[in-house]
Amino acid sequence: MSNFTEEMIDNYADKLLIGLTEEERKMIQTEFDDIEKDMELINDIPNIKDVEVLSYPFEMEVSELRSDDNEGKEIPIDELLRNASRVEGREVEVPKVVG
Amino acid sequence: MYKAVIGLEFHCEMKSHTKVFSNAINGFSKLSNQLVAPLDMGFPGTLPVVNKTCVKKAIEMAMILNCKIPEYMEFDRKNYFYPDLPKGYQLTQFFNPVGVDGKVVIEVNGKEKEVLIHDIHLEEDSASLDHYYDTSNIDYNRSGVPLLELVTEPCLNSADEAIEFLEYIKRIYEYTDISDCDTKKGQIRADVNVSIMDNDSKELGTKVEVKNVNSFDSIRKTIEYEIERQSKLKSEGRYDEVVQETRRFDDETGTTIHMRSKADAIDYKYFTDPNIPKYKITNELLEEIKKNIPMLAHERKNKYISEYNLSEYDAKVLVKNKKVSDYFEECVRLGADAKSACNWITTKVLAEVNKSDEITIDDVFIRPSMIAELIKLIADKKITNNQGKEVFTKMLEEHLTPVEIVKKYNMEILEDDNLVNSLVDEVLSENEKAIEDYKNGRTNMLDYLVGQVMKKSRGKANPVDAKNKLLEKIK
Amino acid sequence: MIGKSILELHDELKNGKVTSNELVNESLKACHEIQDKTNSFVTIIDDAKGSEVTDDLLSGIPYGIKDIFSTKDILSTGSSNTLNNYVPFFDATCVANLKKHGAVGVAKTVLDELGMGGTGTTGHTGIVHNPWNLERQTAGSSAGSAASVACGVYPYALGSDTGDSIRKPAAYCGIVGYKPTYGMISRFGMFQFASSLDTVGVLTRNVEDAAIAVDGMKGLDENDMTTWDSSSINLFKSLNKDVKGKKLFYIENVCDINNYSNPSEELKEHLNNFKETIKRCEELGISVSKVNIDSKLLNALYSTYVVISCAEATSNMANLTGISFGPGGEGKSPDEMIKDHRTKGFSPLIKRRFVIGSYVLQRENQEKFFLNAKRVRRLIVNKMNELFKEYDAMIAPVGTGPAKYIDDNKNVHDKETRVLEELLQIGNFGGYPSITIPNGFVNNLPVGVNITGKVKDDVSVLNIAYALESTMNYKNQLAREEN
Repeated sequence: MSNFTEEMIDNYADKLLIGLTEEERKMIQTEFDDIEKDMELINDIPNIKDVEVLSYPFEMEVSELRSDDNEGKEIPIDELLRNASRVEGREVEVPKVVG
Repeated sequence: MYKAVIGLEFHCEMKSHTKVFSNAINGFSKLSNQLVAPLDMGFPGTLPVVNKTCVKKAIEMAMILNCKIPEYMEFDRKNYFYPDLPKGYQLTQFFNPVGVDGKVVIEVNGKEKEVLIHDIHLEEDSASLDHYYDTSNIDYNRSGVPLLELVTEPCLNSADEAIEFLEYIKRIYEYTDISDCDTKKGQIRADVNVSIMDNDSKELGTKVEVKNVNSFDSIRKTIEYEIERQSKLKSEGRYDEVVQETRRFDDETGTTIHMRSKADAIDYKYFTDPNIPKYKITNELLEEIKKNIPMLAHERKNKYISEYNLSEYDAKVLVKNKKVSDYFEECVRLGADAKSACNWITTKVLAEVNKSDEITIDDVFIRPSMIAELIKLIADKKITNNQGKEVFTKMLEEHLTPVEIVKKYNMEILEDDNLVNSLVDEVLSENEKAIEDYKNGRTNMLDYLVGQVMKKSRGKANPVDAKNKLLEKIK
Repeated sequence: MIGKSILELHDELKNGKVTSNELVNESLKACHEIQDKTNSFVTIIDDAKGSEVTDDLLSGIPYGIKDIFSTKDILSTGSSNTLNNYVPFFDATCVANLKKHGAVGVAKTVLDELGMGGTGTTGHTGIVHNPWNLERQTAGSSAGSAASVACGVYPYALGSDTGDSIRKPAAYCGIVGYKPTYGMISRFGMFQFASSLDTVGVLTRNVEDAAIAVDGMKGLDENDMTTWDSSSINLFKSLNKDVKGKKLFYIENVCDINNYSNPSEELKEHLNNFKETIKRCEELGISVSKVNIDSKLLNALYSTYVVISCAEATSNMANLTGISFGPGGEGKSPDEMIKDHRTKGFSPLIKRRFVIGSYVLQRENQEKFFLNAKRVRRLIVNKMNELFKEYDAMIAPVGTGPAKYIDDNKNVHDKETRVLEELLQIGNFGGYPSITIPNGFVNNLPVGVNITGKVKDDVSVLNIAYALESTMNYKNQLAREEN
């Protein structure tokens, strides 16, 4: 019996604003069972909790940050908006945002 | 009556030349989408690059709030979908904020109050949405504007305390030039957490969060409304109707309205942004920032009292707004007597400023140099105090300097003794009845006689001088 | 002529035997010729023009660009329907740098959608076929780049590598694939998959060309905070075959055929060939030692990769909403519109990965999955760094054999070989420089060997590969369709 119900998977997908077909949902369900087994391989490692997480490939530190003095060039509005699916004047248009 | 427990999350737009993670200008533009770098619209492949000025200012604020400052500056992603969030996440500091566990002491209604700071962190603002009939339009000018978010512990107990604290914080932002805190430009927003509990209880009540309240006045109303709403339910035995939820403040009705319940709370799936390597906050940097923290409001206030002998009340009025305090200091720098400058500012100048919500002291025609000039004219006895007030009014009306006004209206005090003497004689001869009355004990008649001399001199006689001469001759 | 190396082409250009325009036209023609067979390209840039030939080795020479890179005024799709009409107004830094060197981009190559995949079969314009055998995969995600370079339509093409996306397809296509140290080349303008693993690199037919191309792209970039200053390093000039005394190791657990209970013939041949390569190393005066790594760590490799890469990907690709770029969806509310765009735009594979990524980042799962994966990542990196104190680099067979079939039903599925199949991900965990070169044939299909070395010691890695390359006959080889 899978730990992952259809509702759970639909809920995850929905939060990512993705719709799933029945087939895709089934696929994910099967895969999740495999993946959870795989995950156990991570949790099997002794004393894993004591290890510090690694968020970068190696210990990177930057010694200098960006100077606030230099601004970028203004981007022409037609370049900025040419890929938008809906444009109104100088703005990008979407269906009305409620709430 | 119950005890209220209030926590605040106070967001404030920072001042900087460019945005916090991109090199687009951080400013205001009438043209939509003019101040936009590719990152601010989340174009594929764009990466954040951290602005040093914003980091330094954030550290400065953390220091002023007596926070612990971490070894490294790091940023995390707060993931959620919203049309105003082009990357699909907001860059913020969740795991390791720039300041934690701070504390400040403020004064509320004459009593000291300690306010505990949970944390302060640097993050980015979202784009802004303009709403129309059935569409909304996105303007990315605000996307990526630096924000400081200050989170208090739930340690405030009244709307007064909350507002006094926010005023205190606002003054720091202004004095350090970190933010203008301009409500009209939407530069501040607060999330307000309110719960109530029995006075003798140790157990916190159910916390209600009111999001995105955007003026001090609304924050006060929000707190007052929530305390009243929750208290009413509790006293009616319906406290179970107070639930953990997120509400919003409705300006029109002055009430709060349910937005979502706790069950609908979004899981933001925070994680450290791998695109931003750690930046070491060195001791040298901390020293440099510390050295450059300007004198803050309460420090200026103390200076005004001890160095300039101003009253506590006057000093407070002057430092309440940095621009006013700066104005005062400029007057003093230009040689004006501090007490006189304070009097002119707290009475006449601020009266002008308070005539409209739209202006600040910087918008008043009369500059500190003119106040200094005016004070000098009076001190040098070129004009009387009363004339000074007249000059002030005329300066505003005619946009001229004090010297120009005095000259134009020929207002300089008469220093010709003979002329004053002859005017006094004239007045005495014309007012025998008044002299009689004065001698019979109506002492206020003397002021009337001085007034007559002043009238004949067209205000140019020195009233003290005239009074002395009158007294001499009546005897 | 276009099938020649950068150095050869540079000579021809300098000697006036050919002009840059002629070279570009020849390259464009060759791109069209292989497109039907291999489906390598999303876009062939037909209006590309030659450029001035200078002393710069890259000047005037055409190259290919994986379609994961932003190119100014040229369609850049990430091989995804969510970006199938996206025309950026800016160049990726690596593309801009190559432009400054006078290089001429002539094609945008197909990848596994948004770089997430290792088969070359999931791009929105269809499957990329291996030019050595059209029934076989190229591997991915730099599928079109690998196939086109193997066909000799230009000397090099850009790739990106998050797990093994340059180094695996290079092996399957019989060419060189080089992933430099993380941060050597700016990622600005490369569509992000997993930011802490993503690396810009190159596919070529010899080690010299790989060095030249990366020299032309690398450097500190004010648009990418993870770049580092490599101005003191000149990869091409550092190439020499002086590798005597260098020390290599290989991981015996996965490289010794005796550790597999039921190995396929292909695996046997592949590992046998690997042994031959080790002998060649030894003949060069390189010592090669075997080491064993805790199998618990090795077994966790793949899960660690899946967790970290999917988590980062689900966040990185949250910008693909169809609002300010991309074809956009239909709907009465913004959420409906975004959902429609993403539902229609992403292939099932991507959706699955997003769901996994989201799952491991959930508040209640983060500790167990995401943070533990990042901890395992540290253990693996620590282990490698420990080994790199003693050794100059690791040598490893690439994958478990030659290219797999496009029709997955024909492929052998063996759980036992998974660690070997995914081994190169170690290179991304630690940001190590890593290069694949061809080292022979199995079943008439090319196979590869990989050298992975210390962070920022790209020179050693390239030199070992350079020396090894010279002992074999696969340098500059072009794909020959065998059947």
